[in-house]
Parts: sequence; C-alpha cells; structure tokens
Amino acid sequence: MQIATSTGETKDHDLWQRIRTGDEQAFTAIFERYHRTLYNYGSKLSTNSSLVEDAVQDVFIDIWRLRANLTEHVTSVKFYLYRALRRRIHLALDKFPSMEEISELDDEDTPANHTHSEAILIEIESSSMRAQRIQELLAQLPERQVEALTLRYFDDFSIEEIAGIMSVNEKSVRNFIYKALTSLRQSREILLISSLIFWLLLFF
Amino acid sequence: MKHDPYSLTELIRNEEFIAWVMHPDELSDRKWRAFLDKHPGKRKTVESAREYVILLAKDTGRHQPTQKQSDRMWSVVESHMHDEAPKAQEEVNAPVFQVTRGHGWRWMRVAASAALILSIGSVSYWFYYKKAESPLQAVAARDEAVTPNTIQKYNDTDKPMTVLLQDGSSVVLQPGGRLSYSEGTNRKRREVTLTGKAFFEIVKNKQKPFLVYSYGLATKVLGTSFMIDASSESQDIKVEVRTGTVSVFSISNLDNSRKDAVLDKPELEGVTLNHDQRIAFSKESGKIVQITAPIAVASEKDVSKQQFVFDETPVSEVFRILESAYNVRIAYDREKLGSCPLNATLVGQPLKEKLEVICNALDAQYEVADNQITILGKGCK
Repeated sequence: MQIATSTGETKDHDLWQRIRTGDEQAFTAIFERYHRTLYNYGSKLSTNSSLVEDAVQDVFIDIWRLRANLTEHVTSVKFYLYRALRRRIHLALDKFPSMEEISELDDEDTPANHTHSEAILIEIESSSMRAQRIQELLAQLPERQVEALTLRYFDDFSIEEIAGIMSVNEKSVRNFIYKALTSLRQSREILLISSLIFWLLLFF
Repeated sequence: MKHDPYSLTELIRNEEFIAWVMHPDELSDRKWRAFLDKHPGKRKTVESAREYVILLAKDTGRHQPTQKQSDRMWSVVESHMHDEAPKAQEEVNAPVFQVTRGHGWRWMRVAASAALILSIGSVSYWFYYKKAESPLQAVAARDEAVTPNTIQKYNDTDKPMTVLLQDGSSVVLQPGGRLSYSEGTNRKRREVTLTGKAFFEIVKNKQKPFLVYSYGLATKVLGTSFMIDASSESQDIKVEVRTGTVSVFSISNLDNSRKDAVLDKPELEGVTLNHDQRIAFSKESGKIVQITAPIAVASEKDVSKQQFVFDETPVSEVFRILESAYNVRIAYDREKLGSCPLNATLVGQPLKEKLEVICNALDAQYEVADNQITILGKGCK
C-alpha cells in the first residue's frame, strides 16, 4: 500500500512540467525542496562528503541540461531524483548494481518473534534509552540496512519505491528492514541481560 | 508462540502504522484509536513503536548538509544553468597578472567611476576571458575545481580576499563568500555566481555586459564597481549603488530566447539604480520589497566604502590603504618611492587599474606573485 503525500506530488509534477519549459524558478524550487534529503540519503551510500555533494549537484545539473528531453510523465519526481542519485554515487564508487543484487537473493523472510521479552522491555525502557539505542544501532548496521531504513523512515518511500531505488525486489527491502529491527531487539536483549546482572550483583 | 501482527517489531515496520505516526489524518487516527480501544493491552507497545518510528526517522535524517554545503552545491548547479555552451579548455594555466604595462590595459582605463553595493544571495559570472590561476586567489582561497570549466573561489579565512578576473576586474570576497564563474566561450557577456558578500570593481566594456544572477534575478552593469552582500539565510537581496548606474531585473519569467536578447543588449533595463541608491529584493518573488537604511559611514577596512581619493598623498600611505582594502601585500622600495606624492581618484576601478594608474604616475611597473604585489620603480625625481 502506497501512502503518497498527494499535494506534494501534484506540486512536484507541476514544477517538473515547468522545468521542462526552462523555468528557472521551478528548478530552484525543486533543488531547494530535495537537495538536503538527497544529500542525507547519499551520505548513507558514501562517507565521502565531497563525492556526495558532487553527485547531488550532478543530478540537478543533468536535469537542467537535459530538461528539454525529460519525460513528461514521471511517476514521482522524488523517486526519480533518489534513483538518479544512487546511480551516480554507485558509478562514482565503481559499484555494479547487478552484483549486489545477486547477494541478496537468498535472504529468507524471518518473522520470528520474541513478544515476551519485548513486553518486559517496553516497561523498563525510558525514552532516552531508546534514543541512544537507535543511534548505536544505526552506527553498527550494514550499509544497505541503513539505506533501507533511511528511505523508509526518513524519506517516507513505500517498500515498492525503495525496491525500485535500490534495484532489488520488495522482499529484499522487507528483509533489510526486518533484520535492522531485529538487531535493535537483540541489542535490547543484551541490555536487559546486563541490567539483570547489575541488579543481581546489587542484591547478592 | 503465535505470530503477533501487532508486536513491537511488526508495528514499527507496518506501513499503515508508520503513515499514521508520520502523517496522521482523520482516517488513520480513527483506525488506530479503534484498535487501541479493542486492545487496551497494546497501548504501551503502540506508544513504544510510535517512539521508535519517530526516532528512526529522526536518526536516519541526521546527515543533511550544512548551510555552507547547500550554498556550495547550489552555486555549482546555478553556474551550470547559465552556461550551456561547451567550453574550450585552453590556456588554463595562463597567469591573470601580466607585467604588461601599457599593453592591452588602456581601454580598461575607461572603467566607470561607479560603485554599486548589492546584497545578493547568489550571483553568476561568465567570462569570455581565459581562465587563470591567480596567485592572489590561490593563497586565500580554497580552490574548488568542481568541473574543469567552473572556477570556484571560496573565502574560508576571516579576512577579505581579492580575486582577480581575466578582464582586469577585481572582486574582494568577504569571509564566507563564494564566487563561481566559467571561463566560457560567451562572447556577449561576463557572468558570475556569488554567495556571500563581495565587492566588485568591473572593467568597462559596453560590448560585454557584466551580469550578476541570483535566484532568477539579474543585475546588469556595463562597467562599474559594486558590493554584493549575500547571506544565504537572508530572504532579501540588497543592491546598493554608490556611483554610476546599474539595472536589476528578474529573469525567471523570461523564456530562453527573450532572456538571451535581454541579457545581451547593451541597454540597461528593469529597475535602474544610480549612485548612493539602495534597494532590496525578495529572493522568492524577485520583487522590490524595501529600501534599506542609508549607507554606512566609511571605514578604511571596507573596500566598498572607500573613495580612494589621493591629493598629494605619499605613496607609502596610498599603498597602506590599498593593502588594507584588498588584503594584499605591496612590496616597494620605501626610500625611493615612499614619499612620492600622488594625486588620483581611484574610486570604482579594479585593483589592477589602480596599480596601473599609480605606476604610470610613478613611472614604475608592478608584478604580482603569490599574495604579494611588487612595485618596481626608480623613484620620483
């Protein structure tokens, strides 16, 4: 199910049409709207900030340069920009999209559950603990899981769109997110154990 | 244990749940309220999942660019917008400064005695003239060759920095300012992009207007000197003219063919500003929004406010003023030249023209190397 911010997309489409006719103000507006989040996304793909900056610039430069030949009916301007940026960065990093796709094919869906331990955790956790946990988690997760999380939670893309951007199937995207969230739970379990040990030591 | 579709992990990755957390509307609100009424035991899980979704969104969005990076990206993109002709990569390393006194400089002597102070978010500059690595720029600037054809100068020091352009014009870039331009094959106009604050002294050339672009706004001069103060946070673009005339107009509403015609013609159009006039534009609408406060009192440090009027002024004093205004070093023989008197009014002229005038009066020559200007002369006897 796709939850689209319909007004935003209508405005994007309008701006897109204006860019095609050479409207600089529309182009400026699209840049203003997306360059920050694109840069943010790019930063998940490469830690080299100047490479990311260059890639973001190039995406926009290309749009303006090729404005006369832009497709009239772009499904989503935002989707188009993100996919273009990813290609640019991977090109710069010399990655081949076909290679990474293969490695994800044998990921199995794993809906295992730990409802019990979760229930306990929810009670004892404070907000600040959660915030810290997320930060630690994002720092240690594999790049592609962070990428999927970013597109899902920060950029608000649907699973279908994320699959299109990352050139993998939807199942893989679900797996990336699921694994990331599982790591979150695991790290919580570690914390639970360590706090248990702490309390044990305190009482005995 | 049975699979629970409303466990913490499942909720965090549930699309409808995420949508409700991030953009709640009446429908989703009703749905999740009904869910909670039905499963009151899930309240804590839902609260926790909600918090996680918000945290994930917040934390995955931590890598947004700084304002500086945004400005940098935009100025590169903008410089490409007005520069579509393919560039020839010729004479890339030719020096800006040539010790060619009296050769090729005469026509520039006509430089307008006009000063314009602009406050602009972003200004574009294209040069017909060949690109060169100026030694003056190299010292203070972090050169950013984004593409081989786009020259970017960024002043990350806390002092003004002088950038010398190919046609003899000079730009004093204030700290934080960024200037980008292309050494294009554009024979009809000279154009730059600037973010931040800079003082321009532009060589007069009626055939090749000097254009400043900003958020769809263009400022056109045929030859003058002016200040551009552009903070990216500011909503307005301010233009201040001390002497001379410039015009400012919006180009975002013009189609390409008309734009070229407007940009190329030697006449000034749009809002015309004369000396000591100031104006402010809204970045968004490109409309005049206010006339700002009167021009501040002259300060020796601020090159844009200086008159550079010398009446029997010893050359040592003249050089001291230039050093301070342009943040350059001028080496000369104090004993031979220092006390020579100078009569000149050098307002509105690029640095090189000022040096030219002074050297003519002193029967001297100048050289530029690194951040230093060396005056060679026998003295005024």
